[in-house]
Amino acid sequence: MYTADFAYARAGSLAGALELLAAAQARGEDVKLLAGGQSLLPMMKLRLAAPETLIDIGGVGELKGVTGGPAEGAEGAKTVIGALTTYRELERDPMITATFPAMADALAVLADSQVRARGTIGGCIAHADPASDLPAVLLALDATVTIAGGHGTREALLDDFLTGIYSTDLADDEIITAITVPAAPPGQAYEKFPQPASHLPLAGACAAVEIKDGTICRAGVAVTGVASRPYRPRDTERILASAPLTPSLLASAAAQAGGAEQGGDVRPLSDQHASGPYRLHLAEIMTLRALQRAVERASGNSSGKAGER
Amino acid sequence: MPASTGPAERDVAVTVTVNGEPRRERVPARTLLVHFLREQLGLTGTHVGCDTTQCGACTVAMDGVAVKSCTVLAAQADGHEVTTIEGIGDAEGLHPVQRAFWAEHGLQCGYCTPGMIMAVRQLLADNPDPGDDEIRRGLAGNICRCTGYQNIVAAARAAATMLQES
Repeated sequence: MYTADFAYARAGSLAGALELLAAAQARGEDVKLLAGGQSLLPMMKLRLAAPETLIDIGGVGELKGVTGGPAEGAEGAKTVIGALTTYRELERDPMITATFPAMADALAVLADSQVRARGTIGGCIAHADPASDLPAVLLALDATVTIAGGHGTREALLDDFLTGIYSTDLADDEIITAITVPAAPPGQAYEKFPQPASHLPLAGACAAVEIKDGTICRAGVAVTGVASRPYRPRDTERILASAPLTPSLLASAAAQAGGAEQGGDVRPLSDQHASGPYRLHLAEIMTLRALQRAVERASGNSSGKAGER
Repeated sequence: MPASTGPAERDVAVTVTVNGEPRRERVPARTLLVHFLREQLGLTGTHVGCDTTQCGACTVAMDGVAVKSCTVLAAQADGHEVTTIEGIGDAEGLHPVQRAFWAEHGLQCGYCTPGMIMAVRQLLADNPDPGDDEIRRGLAGNICRCTGYQNIVAAARAAATMLQES
């Protein structure tokens, strides 16, 4: 399969990429940025996307790599992940897998080895597939997105940045440059129920909990694959922090995972792979499993080892 | 890689070091790496299976890491090194992973085999002594439509032993 014809330009730097982007837009061209290409190229081959111009930012070194994190500073340091950092680089980064066990969980079950070698974290966020794994983890961990554009740089909460199916708040002249993850508690986990052919989650859930004196004092939960975008089930989070931690508290919190998105009911996706009610059921089960494993890890129980199922 | 390039072009000059040899061709920008290898260079050992990033028949190593060449533009490989199945061994001197597939009957029709071998090569580079579960997870990106997975896993295990002994 061939993509539709397009013109190709390669950026050597972020400034160069912004210039190419502005110039293509000034000419009125339909333009797309190419990072690893693991989502965009398949869409172009199926002619679901047919940009006139592709700007290849894959070689922009300044957008690659991980900085910060606990290894480089005091406790509480943020971790900054360059947008062009690949899944493979993340899964092989001992600081990342030790600091963010939920990210290690997701990376171990995400796509396949060859795709992880090229797919990038920034590309994943920009693509905004409603059924991608990593955004759930980043959402539960309160990640922010750094965006460069013609008018300077801005920072957005990932929760505000994701707007719908394949849609984000990224303007036409902007490029995602980094994802920043604040310091996170060790009690975190990601669980998914994959569609067997695509490996994408029919439902996936990430939970991050901090426990003090037998009560969850901080809870971040996010669900993916179920609605038009990954979301935080706020009622689940509220219930978790409302009473002493017991197995039944986890169950009643998980039961709300399909129930409340920013105050309203989740409108579940429905397709040939799974009906809406089935997705909501899976959301509850995956949330419960993620919570159970997150609590195990918060208690220092090694049976919650990353990547095992 | 140039610091920045001029205006966007519909045809691009691509130089890829394939199996150790620099190859320069001018191709339409939309040319996929797998077509560049098969049609421009005549290296037909790399197969096109599903053509949708699922089956792994087109797996090659780019800068030493296994990728799916149906989902990489030839232009993205410009300035990089690519190793195909033709580059890892030949009839007189098979690569240990190739010998293991032969010895364990790790193929039936053989269509997925070049990609399987390139993927096993990557798996064993990352994890020299994998268990069966790790082998199956490591080969999640490769499909054998004959469903000959038992012997493919056995071949990967045998290759691990051969590589460790060599």
